[in-house]
Amino acid sequence: MQLLNKASVRYLQQHRFQSVLSLLGVALGVAVVLSIDLAIQSARIGFQVSAETVAGLATHSIQSDRGSIDEQFFTRLKLDLDITEAAPVVEGLVTSTSLPGRTLKILGLDPFSEGPFRPYTSGSSSSLDVNQFITTQGGVILTEELASEGGLSKGDSIVIFSSGVRWALPIVGLFQSEDRLTRSGLSDVLVMDISGAQEVFDMVGSLTRIDLRILDSERSYERTIGEITDNLPSGLRLENIGTRSETMAGMIRAFDVNLTALSLLAIVFGMFLIYNSMTFSVVSRRTSFGRLRALGVTRNEILRLILREAFWVGTVGTVIGLALGVFLAQGLIGLITQTINDLYFALSVREISIDTVSLLKALTLGIGATVLSSLPPALEAAGSTPRAASTRSIIESKTRRVIPMLAWSGLALCLLGWLVLFLPTRSLSVSFISLFAIITGMAAITPLGTIVLVELVQPTLSAWFGTLGSMAARGIRTTLSRTAPAIAALVIAVSVTVGLGIMINSFRGTLINWLDGTLQADLYVSLPGPQASRASGTLSESLINDFVSADGVVGYSTYRAVDVIRAEDTYRLVALKLDQRGEGAFDFQSGDSDAIIRDFQLSRGAIVSEPYAYQRQLDVGDSISLAGEKSARSLPILGVFYDYGSEQGTIIVSRDLYNRAYNDKGVTSLGLFLDDSSKSDRVVQDLLSKVPVGREVTVRSNATLRSASLEVFDRTFKVTGVLRLLTFIVAFVGVLSALTALQMERTHELGLLRASGLTPAQLWRLVVGQSGLMGLIAGVLAIPVGILLSVVMISVINKRSFGWSIQMQIDPQVIIQGIALAFFAALLAGIYPAFRMANTSPSVALRRISE
Amino acid sequence: MIESGPSVEVINVRKVYPSGDGQRAVLDGASATIRAGERVAIIGPSGSGKSTLLNLLSGIDEPDSGTIEINGLDLRSLSENQRTLFRRNQIGFVFQSFNLLPALTVLENLLLPLELIGKTGNEANERARFLLEMVELSKRADSFPDRLSGGEQQRVAIARAVVHEPSLLLADEPTGNLDEDTSHRLMERLEDLLTSGKTTLVMVTHSRDLADRMDRALALDHGGLVEY
Repeated sequence: MQLLNKASVRYLQQHRFQSVLSLLGVALGVAVVLSIDLAIQSARIGFQVSAETVAGLATHSIQSDRGSIDEQFFTRLKLDLDITEAAPVVEGLVTSTSLPGRTLKILGLDPFSEGPFRPYTSGSSSSLDVNQFITTQGGVILTEELASEGGLSKGDSIVIFSSGVRWALPIVGLFQSEDRLTRSGLSDVLVMDISGAQEVFDMVGSLTRIDLRILDSERSYERTIGEITDNLPSGLRLENIGTRSETMAGMIRAFDVNLTALSLLAIVFGMFLIYNSMTFSVVSRRTSFGRLRALGVTRNEILRLILREAFWVGTVGTVIGLALGVFLAQGLIGLITQTINDLYFALSVREISIDTVSLLKALTLGIGATVLSSLPPALEAAGSTPRAASTRSIIESKTRRVIPMLAWSGLALCLLGWLVLFLPTRSLSVSFISLFAIITGMAAITPLGTIVLVELVQPTLSAWFGTLGSMAARGIRTTLSRTAPAIAALVIAVSVTVGLGIMINSFRGTLINWLDGTLQADLYVSLPGPQASRASGTLSESLINDFVSADGVVGYSTYRAVDVIRAEDTYRLVALKLDQRGEGAFDFQSGDSDAIIRDFQLSRGAIVSEPYAYQRQLDVGDSISLAGEKSARSLPILGVFYDYGSEQGTIIVSRDLYNRAYNDKGVTSLGLFLDDSSKSDRVVQDLLSKVPVGREVTVRSNATLRSASLEVFDRTFKVTGVLRLLTFIVAFVGVLSALTALQMERTHELGLLRASGLTPAQLWRLVVGQSGLMGLIAGVLAIPVGILLSVVMISVINKRSFGWSIQMQIDPQVIIQGIALAFFAALLAGIYPAFRMANTSPSVALRRISE
Repeated sequence: MIESGPSVEVINVRKVYPSGDGQRAVLDGASATIRAGERVAIIGPSGSGKSTLLNLLSGIDEPDSGTIEINGLDLRSLSENQRTLFRRNQIGFVFQSFNLLPALTVLENLLLPLELIGKTGNEANERARFLLEMVELSKRADSFPDRLSGGEQQRVAIARAVVHEPSLLLADEPTGNLDEDTSHRLMERLEDLLTSGKTTLVMVTHSRDLADRMDRALALDHGGLVEY
């Protein structure tokens, strides 16, 4: 069927603007999905490669919840248990003035134990002189790439900050590994002798972990594992290597699913766009198809022709989308790793890994979505008789007949989606499926909503603008087969924008209320660390003493945070010495706050955050266990407090309880209460003057910490903002395409109007006015849909993803913005066709042979 | 003049269309026999069902009751797909509004019916060019239809309808949009193209002159077909 294919190609060429918009729609949809996928995959791969490189050939490791193991246990392991392949490790995160904005990991190793573990530490893969490595105090080795990024070379010193203390570490060697993965895994690592690392992290006598090599093939495997487990002191555990990194990678699952779902919206909009384009291309060629059918072209041949066309549009659009997606991913990786860094764990990935599976997924999705969305118009064209295919009125009357049924189906789909939300599951995929069902259902109701709104406004438009006003309104109703999909696409795009806007505003408002209640102290003291959103490190005892006894300080609370990362559970453990003045910091879900705090202060149990309780389905009165080096005990939950600091969940125990379980006297941060007459600025200056030279401490007022927290929040939602914008662009292209198609299809009719005496300016007003009216209708219909979506996102998706309760706040500004967005987007989309039509000579318009 | 070709049998055909709140029978008990190679005009006032009859004869549409046989083949016994294949092979159709495909050139419009029946290459090309010469449009072979005048477009439409040598040629007021002089020349061309006598021609027309050029004429009267 060469000639039919030729006719297809010519059609696409003749409608170049439409074809480009179709390609753009597919390309943008694919690009958004691929970029998110690549960026998240790259973050995961970066984390994985780094974890694997640092772990080397170890098979197991001995870990402690607190990240601190007495090094005497290592000696016991080697001498008493005769474990020969064991290596002590001290590691931690630092920042460097030589590499601003980067989080570096210091890996402290014992060169004499390293033999079987990390080949890159042997002299062959680095210009490492082992003697120099051991004998040079604080000597570090780093990759050549990292050194050159910081303008450093062998012999120089790299300045780092660990827990606010400045260290100048001499560079004694550079890795020259030819293995790309090793270089990538070590891209942010400084390797140093273990004793130096212990000093840097103030861990003399302690280890972060002990790496082991116990091979499964060895006959003594089970016995060795059993021996080690039996001899583990309280608070330590033996883990398979990879478990920890897998657990950490699992922490970003909800974040990953949410971003992926949002990116899939772009494909949904892309599908709308393709559906629109293909419907237009089919409807506008209905006469041609009718002629072909009359000449003897079968239904299957017409179906194949249209699907083949869609396949090629999908393929070309997808290929462009793949390139665009890779480009976009480069920009998104920074935003995504920043968010992971802010909310989950330290991560520094700057390059994207182009994963074949992601590319294939995007390719299949792009082509599949295009062909799938072309199926309804293709079936419509193939299914109609030669006579019906060439009669516009038949198509429109068919559309009108279908609308009530479509609206009922939409309503049923919405109800079904809504009911699915009540299923006793916490599955995020199920939640998103029901969200998509609601969105699709709403789209199906849109045509009926459009008819109702047109009926309502038509008399007013007729009164204000006469026949032209009436025509603009009636034109929407009489060409519903074309206008309804365009309006539906715009409704969905704007409603998602409105829904996300309400959700973000509600979340921000809830966070502000929470911060206002939680931040009770006047000043907060912590050490500058690699993660802006959470304090880390240990404040020195002398500094704490100096600070709490400073002038104007009348009370203080201390805070010790430990991130417990276990295969079976991940949470944040906090030891709190709570000053009486700060007792109002917690907002409990239920119960008498005073009584809960009183019991807490008396160490009668623990309080847990809402996400902790929600994710583990625990409630007040249930028990949690606290297993430290000194003792393990079960504690009742005294209260569940609202908390937006961590989605993994937090357990807070009194300092007294913590001290009884752990060998840890450290304090991560300090809250200071000032007397009423003290000015916080003056006290801050006073406190900072007590900090010894070479150390750094962050002292922030209540207001500064509050705004810093909101800054992290806003940064976290930057990715959402970018996606929101991108999905809107896809939807806008869809509307532009649909409106252009609609007006182009009316060439003959508009030519007739011009011939009847309508001036170009009047024609311009008619076309733009009709587009604007469609936008306004879409805007009005989008508001209830947007509010509904926000309810689902806030009450179900967010709760299931993160376990947070968010108080819904509908800002009128978001609503107005939504309507304005729809109106102006449609108005803008109407300009090109209006311009083209107004500048087309009536004779040319009338002469054009209908397709 | 009558040599060969399918005989057309229209037996007691009824076709109803919705009209307002009710229905209107456009054809009601229409019957006629057209012998192979015969040239028959169908005449009747607007809305009498002339075009409907042609749609039924071509299998584009189906009767509500009654039988249409082309060369002994009952069209109702064929599936939609079989009717399409039958149409592609056996029927040529000249529409009043030309119905050329705007995305194809004049030559390609003629090549399409040949391609549909599997004839491609030089043989098809020569046949199409021969017909273009017959209708005096060789020089416009590579033009697109919207560059042609009404008369030229209709000549292309006629050439396209006979290019695959159909046994039944249906023409729906082929000169309805043309002036008298052009109509006359066009009919001459059509007659030239049908000199082999193998093709049965059924032509709907308003023109008494055109009807007089046919072997006989049938008139549509109150839904039935009567000799005119």
